[in-house]
Amino acid sequence: MTAAATTRPYRMLIVEDESTVLFALRKYFTAAGYRVDYARELEEAEALIATTQYHIVIADLRLSGSSAAEGLEVLRFVRQQSRGTKVVILTAYGSPEIQGSARMLGASAFLQKPAPLPEIGATVLRLLEEA
Amino acid sequence: MSSPQTLLQEILGKGGLSTLFQPIMEIGAGLHELFAVEALSRGQKGTNAERADVLFDYVRRKGKEIEVDRACTAAALSAAAANGIGCPLSINVHASTLERDEQWVEFLAGACARRGLPLSHVILEIVEQQKFWDERRFFQTLDQLRTAGVRIALADIGLGYSNYRMLIEIRPEFFEIDPYFVTGCGERAPARAAIESISLLAGRLGGRVIARGVESESDLRTLEALGIRLMQGYYLGSPDVEPPRAAELAQQEMS
Repeated sequence: MTAAATTRPYRMLIVEDESTVLFALRKYFTAAGYRVDYARELEEAEALIATTQYHIVIADLRLSGSSAAEGLEVLRFVRQQSRGTKVVILTAYGSPEIQGSARMLGASAFLQKPAPLPEIGATVLRLLEEA
Repeated sequence: MSSPQTLLQEILGKGGLSTLFQPIMEIGAGLHELFAVEALSRGQKGTNAERADVLFDYVRRKGKEIEVDRACTAAALSAAAANGIGCPLSINVHASTLERDEQWVEFLAGACARRGLPLSHVILEIVEQQKFWDERRFFQTLDQLRTAGVRIALADIGLGYSNYRMLIEIRPEFFEIDPYFVTGCGERAPARAAIESISLLAGRLGGRVIARGVESESDLRTLEALGIRLMQGYYLGSPDVEPPRAAELAQQEMS
């Protein structure tokens, strides 16, 4: 993964409201050569997506500790802005209904938390390489 | 689980906002002098708010224009006072703040008074003009500001809601032409036509044009030929934490 990301630095947005998970994801993907931005809430993610062209967005399904599936709102917003951006949804509450909604909205992948970082990394790289 | 600080908390927290100053120059007929400085707000380095486009897009999505406009204005006035800026100071404010903040005029007057800055030196630049939410209050606030000596600039003329109706109703003292029209205008006849049109209208309505986005000698000369005298852009001075000094700018021009 490192070699591919380094030769063509992909621009990535991580949307996650939990400090430790956000820290781990940022550290992992930055070390792998990605250019990483991050957002902790829906409006921050939307402001970044509206002003920046990302290759890939990784979004937690539930932000701000609420039961609302804000990750799907992030996905919806990405699809309004850019058809080519890949979106990976992470969640600890992956019901088939939510997964179905995510697929309908155009999610590129849906991963259960806690997913090991190498697994997330491999999924991200596969999506970017098939683009 | 621990939640990180939100971007809004970072923006409104201590040291969350800083101010850069960019000169607005008066040029032509032998003049090349500092007319005013524009205060440009930025978030803290290393945060998403460091980028002005992200900062203000986020603030509008959160519906926190009033709180952030107040914080940006206070930071700009403090920086202006600390640097002894003696020329007019242009400060940006959302149109929605003028409609919704019932205490805006009192806030601005108090903030200026505490820093020893006269209100007559303030140019309030209205940005992000939208469909009116409370038209009556908006114009009432403008009247109060003008009575207090504040001059009004309207940004983004020719784009969005900064249209002919707004120009007629707001009657700004300054008509700000967007860089979309200004940058490269020497090579773009349609852009020059738009600039001429805005300039003519400004003259008829008793206002002055400020051309933003002057990035080359060609832009400057073209604007001069069109009779535009107030100009702003990287070619004339980049935004900087240190405010431009009239004497230094004059020295640069002579060297």
